[in-house]
Amino acid sequence: MRSRSGTLGLAAFLAVAVLPIGASLLYALLYSVGLAGLLAEGFNGRHWLAVLGSGEIWSSLALSVWVAAGVVAAGTALGLALALGFRGTLDRGALGMALYLPLALPGAVAAFFVFQMLTGGGFVARVLLRLGLLSDPSRFLPLVQDRWAVGIILAHTLLATPFLALLFARLYESERVEELAALSRALGASRRQSLWRVEVPILLHAAGTNLALLFIVVLGSYEIPLLLGRQAPQMLSVLTMRKFALFDLRQKPDAFVVALLYTGLVMALIAGIFRREKAA
Amino acid sequence: MRSRRLLIVALLLTGCGRGRAPEAKGDLLAQPWPEIERQARGQTVTLAMWMGDPFINKYINEYVAPNLKQRYRVNLNVVSAQGGQIVSMLMTEIEAHKTQSNVDLMWINGETFYQLRQIDALFGPFTEKLPNAKSIDFKNPFIGYDFQQEVKGYECPWGNVQLAIIYNSARVPEPPRNRQQLAAWVKAHPGRFTFDNTFTGMTFLKSLLIDLAGGPGALDGPFDEEKYKRLSAQLWDYLNGIKPYFWKHGETFPASVAQLHQLFAAGEVDFTMSNNDGDVDNKVLQGLLPETSRAYVLDTGTIQNSHYMGIAKRAPHLAADLVMVNFMISPEAQYEKLKPAVWGDGTVLDVSRLSEDWQAKFADVPQRRFSPKRVDIQPKALREPASEYMIRLSDDFRKYVLEK
Repeated sequence: MRSRSGTLGLAAFLAVAVLPIGASLLYALLYSVGLAGLLAEGFNGRHWLAVLGSGEIWSSLALSVWVAAGVVAAGTALGLALALGFRGTLDRGALGMALYLPLALPGAVAAFFVFQMLTGGGFVARVLLRLGLLSDPSRFLPLVQDRWAVGIILAHTLLATPFLALLFARLYESERVEELAALSRALGASRRQSLWRVEVPILLHAAGTNLALLFIVVLGSYEIPLLLGRQAPQMLSVLTMRKFALFDLRQKPDAFVVALLYTGLVMALIAGIFRREKAA
Repeated sequence: MRSRRLLIVALLLTGCGRGRAPEAKGDLLAQPWPEIERQARGQTVTLAMWMGDPFINKYINEYVAPNLKQRYRVNLNVVSAQGGQIVSMLMTEIEAHKTQSNVDLMWINGETFYQLRQIDALFGPFTEKLPNAKSIDFKNPFIGYDFQQEVKGYECPWGNVQLAIIYNSARVPEPPRNRQQLAAWVKAHPGRFTFDNTFTGMTFLKSLLIDLAGGPGALDGPFDEEKYKRLSAQLWDYLNGIKPYFWKHGETFPASVAQLHQLFAAGEVDFTMSNNDGDVDNKVLQGLLPETSRAYVLDTGTIQNSHYMGIAKRAPHLAADLVMVNFMISPEAQYEKLKPAVWGDGTVLDVSRLSEDWQAKFADVPQRRFSPKRVDIQPKALREPASEYMIRLSDDFRKYVLEK
C-alpha cells in the first residue's frame, strides 16, 4: 500500500509538472489545428501539411540530430581521454580548476566566447592577420555560422566535456573498472586490448543514459545555435521561436506544429531510454 | 535573448492575477489635461522597447526618466522587447482574457502597428489629447501614415529617420549609387557586402523593390498581389545573381543589424546600414565604427519612416502613459535626441509651428560630421509600402534567396 507521503508527493508532481505540461501540449495541439488562438480559423490541418511538406523542418531536424550526435561523440571522446589519461588527478590542482571552469559558463557565454575567438574578425583571425598568415579577415576558415555547424558543436562540447570527464572518472571507480582491467591483463590481454575491449565499453555502457540525455539537451538547445548558427537551416528550437515571432500572425500555428513534432521526438527518445534502463 | 524570453514569461506569469482594472478610456480622455497630469502622479510606466543601442538607452534612462520624475512625478520602468515579441506578449494576454496588461507603452514600427491593430491591442485614439501634438503635422505622409496605414491617433510619432548605407571611405572611395552599380561593385569585390535579414535589411530590400517598380510612389496604396509577385521575382533574380559574391557566398546573412555593424567594424565587410540616417555619427562617437565611416542614400532613394509610441489597450497606467508620450514629443525632448552626440534621431515636429526661440534652437543644432544633411536626402525619401510587402518580403527572402 502506498504511503501517505508517497501519495502526496505523486499528487504534487502531477499538479506541478505533469498537469501544466499536459495542458500546454493540449493547447499547442488545439492551436496547431485552428481550434485555439486569437486568429483561429476553425479546425483544419493546413499548418501540419505546410510544415510537414516543407523541406525546412526536415533540414532543421537533420541539423539538430547532426549537432547533438557531434557533441555527444566529441564530448565522449574528450571526456574519456581526460578521465583515463588523468586518472586520480582529474579533480585536483590546476587541472581540476581548469576542468571545472567551463561548468560555470552559461550557454550564451560559451557561445559568445566561441564567437569572439573564431569569427573572421575574432581573436584567432586577428593574430593570424598580425602574423601575416592571413591576407584578409574574410578569408578565415568559416567556423561560426558555417555549413557544418562547427561553432555550435564546439561551444556545446566546451560545456559538455568537463561534465563527461568527471562522470567517466566517477564511473571508473564505481564500476570497478581498474580491477576488471587488471584481471583482463592477468588473463593475457595487452594494455591496448584492455583499454578498448574492457575499460571503454564498460564506461560507455554505464554512461549510456547520461549520454542519451545529453543528446536530448543539445537537440533542444536555443542560445548557442541562435548565436552561432546560420540563418538556414536552423536548429529546432530556433526554428520554433522564429516561427512564433513571424510577421505574419496567421502562420503562428506553424510554431506549435514544430514544437509538437519536437516533443514527440524527445518523448520517443525518453521512452527508448526507459526501456533500456528496464532491460538493464 | 534568453533573458528576454524569461522576462516575457515572467511578465505573463506575474500578471496572471486579476488586478485593478485599467482606468476607463472614455472617462480619462474626457478629463482636462491638468487633471490627467494630476492622476499620473505616482504612477509607473512600463515601457517596452528595443534596447540594442547604448545611446538610446542612455537617452531614455538618463534624460527621459529623470525629467518625468522631476516634472510629473511619474516613474519609468524600461523592459526589453520589440516587434514580434511585443505582439506575442499582447496576443497571449488577450487569449488569456487578462484585464490588465503588463506593459503600458511600446516603441513600435509599421509592421508591429499593423499587427497590433489587427488584434485590436492598441489604446486610442489618443494623440489629439496631447497638448504637444499640435506641433506635429499629421498630414505629412511620412508621419501620419505608418506603412501606408493611417495612424488615426492609435500611435504617436516620436522620431523620423531614413535608411542610410554606411561605407568605409578608406576602402571604398566611390560607393555605388544605384542598383546596377551595386551589383557591379559586389561582383568586383567578392565577400565584402551583405545585409541583415531583419528589419533594416528588409527595409533595404523594400527600397530596391520600389526602384524596380518604377521609383517614388510606385508602391503607394494597398497591397497589390500581382504587382508584388512580379516585382519580387525580379528582386530575387537580382539578388541571386550577385549572391555568390556576398559575404560567406550568401549562404548565410547577419542575424541582426548589430552583427552587421560588428562585421563592418572588424573589417570583414565594407558596408553596413542603418535605419537612422544620423546613426553613423553616434556610432563613431561611441567608438563602434571607424572615423572613415560615411553614410549616404542611393540616388534611387531609400525608405523614410517614423517610429511611434503605442499604448497597450489594457495598459494599467493610462494617465501616466499619456503624460510620458506628451513629454517625448515636447520640443525639449525632441531637441535633445536630435543632437548627434545624444542619439541623432530626426524630429517629428513641424518646426515652423514652434516658438521663434525653439525654431532658432532647432536651426542651430550641432551639425552631423559623417552623415548626409537631412535637406540633401529628403528628395530621395521613399514612402513605406503597405505592411504586407514587408511581411511577404521577409518570408519570401528566406524561401527564394536564403534557403535556395
